[in-house]
Formats: sequence, C-alpha cells, structure tokens
Amino acid sequence: MVIVVAGLAVKLAQMQVSEGSALAGLARANTVHRIVLEAERGIIYDRHGSALVENSPVWTLEVVPAALPRDAISRAKELAQLARITGQPEDQLATSLAATDPYAPVHIGANLDEAHYLAINELLPQLTGASMTQHAIRTYADPLVFGHVLGYVGPLNDADVQRLRPLGYQPDEVVGKVGVEAGFEAQLRGTDGWADVEVDARGQIVRTVVTKPAVPGHAVYLSVDAVLQRGTAQSLAAGLQRDGKTAGASVVIDPRTGEVLAMVSLPGYDTNLFTRGISRADYAKLLADPDRPMLNRAIAGQYPPGSTFKMVTATAALQEGKITPQTLLGCPSYIDVGGWIYHNWASYNLGYMNVAKALALSCDTFFYQVAAMVGDVTLARYARAFGFGQAKDIEMPGVEAGLVPDRIWKEIQCGVPDLNSDACRWSLGDTLTFGIGQSYLLTTPLNQAVYVAALANQGEVLKPTLLHEVRDASGAVIETQHTQVAGKVPASTIALEAAREGMREEINLPYNMNYWFRAAGVPADGGGKTGTAQWGGSGLDLPTHAWFLFFAPYAASEIAMSVFVEGGGTAEVQAAPIGVDIMKFYNANQAAIRTQ
Amino acid sequence: MTRSVWSRIDHLQPLLVGMLAVLGLMTIFSAHADWPRQVLWIALGVAAYCAAAAFDYTRLRRLAVALYAGMLLLLVAVHLVGRTALGARRWLSVGGFPLEPSELSKLLLVLVLAAYLSRLERLSWRALGGALLLVAPPAYLILTQPDLGTTIVFVAVLVGMLFLAGARPWQLGSLAAVALLALPLMPHLLHGYQRRRLEIFLNPAQDPLGAGYNLLQARIAVGAGGLFGQGWLHGLQGQLGFVPERATDFVFAIFAEEFGLLGCLVLLAIFGALMIRLLRSAAVAPDRFGELVVGGVFVMLFAQVVENVGMNIGVLPIAGIPLPLISYGGSATITTLAGLGVVQSVMLHRRFVSHREEMSGNRVVLLAD
Repeated sequence: MVIVVAGLAVKLAQMQVSEGSALAGLARANTVHRIVLEAERGIIYDRHGSALVENSPVWTLEVVPAALPRDAISRAKELAQLARITGQPEDQLATSLAATDPYAPVHIGANLDEAHYLAINELLPQLTGASMTQHAIRTYADPLVFGHVLGYVGPLNDADVQRLRPLGYQPDEVVGKVGVEAGFEAQLRGTDGWADVEVDARGQIVRTVVTKPAVPGHAVYLSVDAVLQRGTAQSLAAGLQRDGKTAGASVVIDPRTGEVLAMVSLPGYDTNLFTRGISRADYAKLLADPDRPMLNRAIAGQYPPGSTFKMVTATAALQEGKITPQTLLGCPSYIDVGGWIYHNWASYNLGYMNVAKALALSCDTFFYQVAAMVGDVTLARYARAFGFGQAKDIEMPGVEAGLVPDRIWKEIQCGVPDLNSDACRWSLGDTLTFGIGQSYLLTTPLNQAVYVAALANQGEVLKPTLLHEVRDASGAVIETQHTQVAGKVPASTIALEAAREGMREEINLPYNMNYWFRAAGVPADGGGKTGTAQWGGSGLDLPTHAWFLFFAPYAASEIAMSVFVEGGGTAEVQAAPIGVDIMKFYNANQAAIRTQ
Repeated sequence: MTRSVWSRIDHLQPLLVGMLAVLGLMTIFSAHADWPRQVLWIALGVAAYCAAAAFDYTRLRRLAVALYAGMLLLLVAVHLVGRTALGARRWLSVGGFPLEPSELSKLLLVLVLAAYLSRLERLSWRALGGALLLVAPPAYLILTQPDLGTTIVFVAVLVGMLFLAGARPWQLGSLAAVALLALPLMPHLLHGYQRRRLEIFLNPAQDPLGAGYNLLQARIAVGAGGLFGQGWLHGLQGQLGFVPERATDFVFAIFAEEFGLLGCLVLLAIFGALMIRLLRSAAVAPDRFGELVVGGVFVMLFAQVVENVGMNIGVLPIAGIPLPLISYGGSATITTLAGLGVVQSVMLHRRFVSHREEMSGNRVVLLAD
C-alpha cells in the first residue's frame, strides 16, 4: 500500500513540479485568448463635412473547433445546421473546421447583414462553439458619382502582405485599394487594440484580463465639394447622353489653392460591390465592359490634348521672342512643308490675325508656323513647365503622366535599328502637329485642369490636392491643406496675358462658343479653349476626342476646369456645353459651394 | 470486560472522514456542482454511517443471502427500468432521486464475500471457484451497463478479499493466468468506447479533441497546479470547464489544480491515514467475518482512490470511478459512509466476542489468521 501511494505521490510531484510550468502554459493557452479589437476606419467627408462613406455593421459567424460537441451524433447534427445556415457544403465545412489549431476560431460566414445576424443569433444557443463577431464594413454614398474619387477598400493580397507587414497589418485586415481610400490609408487606418480574454471550454468569453483599446482612424475632409461633384457628374452625364456618348471626365479645381473641387469619371461603377467581396460574375462583367468603368479617366486616361495645347505654343513663341502679341500671321486652309500638306480645320483662308485671335479661332495653320519657329525642344520645355507629361502628386494611386515627346524620346522609343527611319527621326511635321497638341502628345483631365488653373493663375502651376483637412477622433484638426506651388511657367505677364486674352475671345465670339453661354445665362467672364483631338494615327477614321478647358472669372479666377468627352467629336458642340452647364450649376449653387 | 461505547470505537476514523468530506465539498463548490445536494448526501451518508455502526455486524452475516439477492435484483432492475445517461444505463429513480445500484453493490459484495469466505476453514480450489461464481453474475450485470470502473473495483475486492481469506499466492497467480488467457476475449466484452479509452491511455495525443480530451485536459489541470496550486476557486482549467466531469470522475484534477502538490500530498496523507486506521480495525476485529468485512471495505476504498488518482494523472486508464468522499454523488457517498459505519460496528461490537480479542490482543493478525 505504501509503495502504491508513494508511487502516485512521485508521479504527482513530477507532473506538478518538473512539468508544471509547461502544463500551466498549456492551461493558459487553453483559457486566455488574445482578441483583436478592430480600430474603426476614419470617415471620409467632403470639404463641408458631409459624410461620403459610413462604417456599417456586419457580422462574422465563427466556430471554435475545440468547442464543438464531442459526441459524434450532436457534432454531425450541428455541422448539418451550420451548413444549412451558411449555405456551404457539409464536407467543405468539416474540412475547414479540421484546422491545425483547434482553439483558433474558424470563420465560416462573413459579411452577414443584420437580418442574417438576427436569424442566426436566435439559433446560437443551440450551436455549441459558434459565435458571431461584429465588424464594420465600408458603405459608400452614391458610388456612381463619388466612386472614382473615394475608391474602395479590400482584403490584402500577397503583394500587400509583403509590403504592409512591417506596418503591423494583419492578413485579415482591409486596406485602401484605389482612390483616396488608398491615398489617405495612413490617416484613415486606425491602430487596432487587443484584449486578453478568458474563454471557457465552449469558447464563450468569461472575463477580460487586459485591454489595449483601439485607436480609431482619422477623419479625412476632402477638398471635394459634394454639391459641385454631383452637379459636375450630372452635367457630364447629361452632356454624354445628349450625344450618345458613354465615357468622359471632368476635373474642377480652385486655381488659387490647387484644391480639387470635383473629379468625375464616367462611367462609374458600384464600389460597394468590392467591400463585401465582389462575385466573380460581377467582376468579369466590369472587366468586359468596353467603356472600362473601372478606369478613372480623370487621372489615368491619357489622350492627346488637341487644340487646348495651343496656349503652350503661344506662350513659348511669345516668351522666346518669335512673335509679339501684335504679330500678324496668315491662317490659310493648309500649308505645304516640303511636299507634305498640313490642313487647317477650315477649308478657306481666314486671313491675317494676331495670336489672341488665332487662339479664339483655333487656327491650326497659324500655330504650325509658330511651332516651326519655336522648335520641338523648346516647345517640350514649355509643355513640361505647364505640367504636361508629369504624374501629379495627388492623394490617390494610379495617376498617369501623359507624354511630352521630343526628338530624343522618339529615338528611344522607335524600336527600329535604323535611326534615320520615319519611326525614329523627329521630323518637322512632328513639330508642326506638336504645336497644335497632336503628334505624340498625351495628357490627362487632371493635368489639363492644372494647366488651365496655371493660365488662370498667372503661370503658377499648383500641386493639385484632394485634401482639405484631417481631424482626429475627437474632432481636433491635425492636418490642413497648404497650397503648394509646384512650379512657375517661365513666361512674362505679357506672354501669358496674350494667351489668356485668346481664351477670353474664344468664348466671346458671337455666333460661336458664346452661344452656349448666352443660352445658359452664364456670363462669359473668363477664358475657355476647346480641343478636338485626333487619335489612333492619321490613317484611321476614329471619332475625335472633345476637350474644353475653362477658367472664371477672368480677373481673380476662382474656378478652373477641364471637360473631356471620349470620342466626343467636335469640341465646340460636345464638350463646351458641358463646361458651361457645370459653370451654370456652380453659379446657381454659389451659396452652398462657397469654397473658402 | 466493560468498556464504554466511546472507548471501543475508532476516534480517528470519523475525524479523517470529516476532513475528506470538507475538502470534497470545497472542491465540488469550486467545480460548480450542486454542493447543497452533496451536503444532503453527506447527511444521509452520516445517518447510514451511524445506523450501520449501531447495527450488530454479526447479524449481517445471517442476512448475506438476502443481501446478495437484493443486489442481483437491483442490478437486474437497472437493466430493465434504469435510466440512460451518457450512453450507459446505470441509474434507478427512487422517489425522484437517482440511485446508482452499482455503487451500492460494491459494499454489498464486500459483505457477501465476507460472509462466504468466513465460513471456510481453508481456501480450497472449490471454495475459490465458489467465490468466482458468486462474483460473476453481478459483475457481468455491471460490466454490461456498461460500467467498467465498478467492475474493476469488483475484481480488486475479490482478489483482495481472497488474499485476506488466506488464498495462496500460487492460487491467485493461477487466477491471474486464467484472466490473462481470457484477455483475447476482452475486446468482445468491452464496449467500443472502453476499448478506445485503453488505446487513448496508451497514447493520449492521438486524438486531443476526441477520446483523449478528458485525459489531456485533466493532466493539464493537474500540472497547472504546480507546487502550491492556483488557489481555491482560481483554477483556470477547472473554473472554465475545460476539465470534463469535473465534479465526479475528474474532481481530483480540480483539486490538484487549485491546491497544488502540497494539497495533493495532504489529501493522499489523509487517505493513507484512513487506510491505516482501517487496517488497524481489521487487526482488532473480533472474528473472521468482521476482519473480512473491514478488509473488504479497505480494499474497496483503496482500489478506488488508487484508480481515480491514477487515471487523473494519466498512469492508469480512464474508468468511471469516483474518488471516495471527494467526488460528487449520492450513491457513492452514502455507500462509502455506510461501509465505514460497518467498520465502526465491528469495532463497537467487540464486547460480544471479546474473548477473541483478548487472545490476539492488538497484534496485527491480518495474514496470520
């Protein structure tokens, strides 16, 4: 008897003393779990504080495999019930629950809405080991209007995990993918907290041991004005519909600060599909849509600027002393350069005119001559000074640069070994068409808006921004937008004023553009320039793109915009009325929009 | 010789029993079991203890046939009208209270075997066979409930009492040999879950969530106790329900987690002291029947303590055996206390056969008799 009892005592001593700490660790691992307290992502507002996104509650159904019923019959019964609730095949469910760590909760239903939650919650008492956790999911207001600006959040992909691990991201977190959700990721993302909780054998939380509360993300107030954004989207959509077009973009900027007041790209798409996990079918449909709704044309659509580029050519010629504001040049229906014929848009001679008049009438042959005088290298320099060919540093990913060509670029990109071939050698013809915004020149609606803002702004090229201010959870302002001058166009007031004068004349020519202003009741106090851009090479009979750039008022401008209609045809007919309509909306809603 | 009642009974035994009952209640309280009910069971058990102590044990010998018949009747009744829980048919409902006849039968077997063996001059092969025949029917009824734990206690009581009755080592050896030969038949007799438990005992990690869960969680709890324990009501494993059957079969794991190695050694020391008191009582028993009854109660309790503690710490396979006076349960508590009461009866009723005691004195006569 003594031997037996002593044997038990020795075994006890071995378990409790020598293996004690290891087994005690197992007991703690059994019972104390660390749960992540999700930080609420910051809300995105417009500049006046109207919310553009909300965090809506959704629920996740999770199961702790270790807490499932242990006898086979009730276990099978519960699995069948879970399969029915989640709509998953039972064997698949069983596989996912046979995880390596039986104490780690397995998510078996995600993004359940409130109706689902209430229905499942009623069954929960019978579902041993199952529990529901709530999290927030982004719901975007008016995604067809704001979608391209706001973007969306999504789960981390493999590349994101690599990139974001050092910043403490968890693999099951979401991250801003496009739009300002991505651009302001650092501000919007809060810091997750955690809590060590004791759970019982059924996985129910019994007690909280330690808590580190989550720090919510900051609220971002965009420079965008929700009212003007809606007005711009409406004007653009109406203009596209009027002419049977499907794609276009418009960027409205405050030329005093560089703040983007509206940024619209059509067609839009439902960003809310992405936050809940888009279905394969929906995604395939978006990808297959020939109008490419997921392309944010405002920042990533690259098109030749056409005649809207002529202010650059004019400024360069004036500043380089090739012409003066008073220099008169002819505007024939074509010019002949070494046997190559370059046409004007008019088939008749418009006579002699100064540079302002040539801008107002958008005379191509005038600017062929001027471009030849300036030369491609100088022209490229001025184009870059106005911000062409430069990916703007704005708070969203995917911004494209456009392209400012010159002879070196052409040689590099030609891809043909013979540097004297037409594909490689810069020709005079390239210079001439460069002068009217063709050749290889490409720009984006955002770059165009910055360009026209610079013309409104005595040549100051501002850094465009989508930020108004950032506030923390308590409402304290912690970051404000500061106007940043990215560069100054190296041109005199006289040169710039001549270009601006041309834009004023264009919208004041009777029987022409002025008609739209009078029809809409919008004062033609400002400057505008249309552009009808050919693309896809001269041999192809593709519809031309239509541009309209506009700033107002003429003195002390407070608004500058670019309007783009893809395949829009004639700019005067397609793009200009949209711009005028946006201006009309702006004037009518001054009180609501007041930007400062 | 006119000794008073007070001087004849074992004083230390009730004290040790009281200590165990208090520790048991504390542990049951900590295990969130129905402790007021356990208080009731203990009260009933104390009543049974007193009644058994007052009842002249020698009359039990004459009642042996009736006791045996009653035991078989109860066990048959379980099979016919018993309630089923956790996959086994073990309970009879008596006036609304659950009665577990297999618990009661442990003590009845001790009394019946004592009556049978005390009449024998020497333990012949025939007598041995008779004892086996006596034990076989109730053992079969219990094994098929199924209740492996009680069956094991039956075997222990049989072997222990045969030994006390003077069986030769080679007799017990040949009995063991026969049992070994019968071992290949065991898989047919054991239920699936019982076979599984044996496999799990040999390798608990093979199915940590299924059959090995109980063993693993109990081991974790015992180990987590460390030297001084987590403190009463502070055992994580036990409080949060990770230890299964925490008020009954695995109550020792709860105790070990909360009171540590020191607590366990104290508990084992109390049990050890109780066992020594029982051996002493057997030594001073006035007749062979009394000696065998006390010895049988000793074997019954010792086997249960060893098996229960052993399975809690993973050195013995799991079988549903309560830790006497610590585990929650009416039938077990009352049976244990009644058995200890019978031991006191043997002490108390020595005067009627006092000449025998005067002859043997206080010398230990366990083996020599």
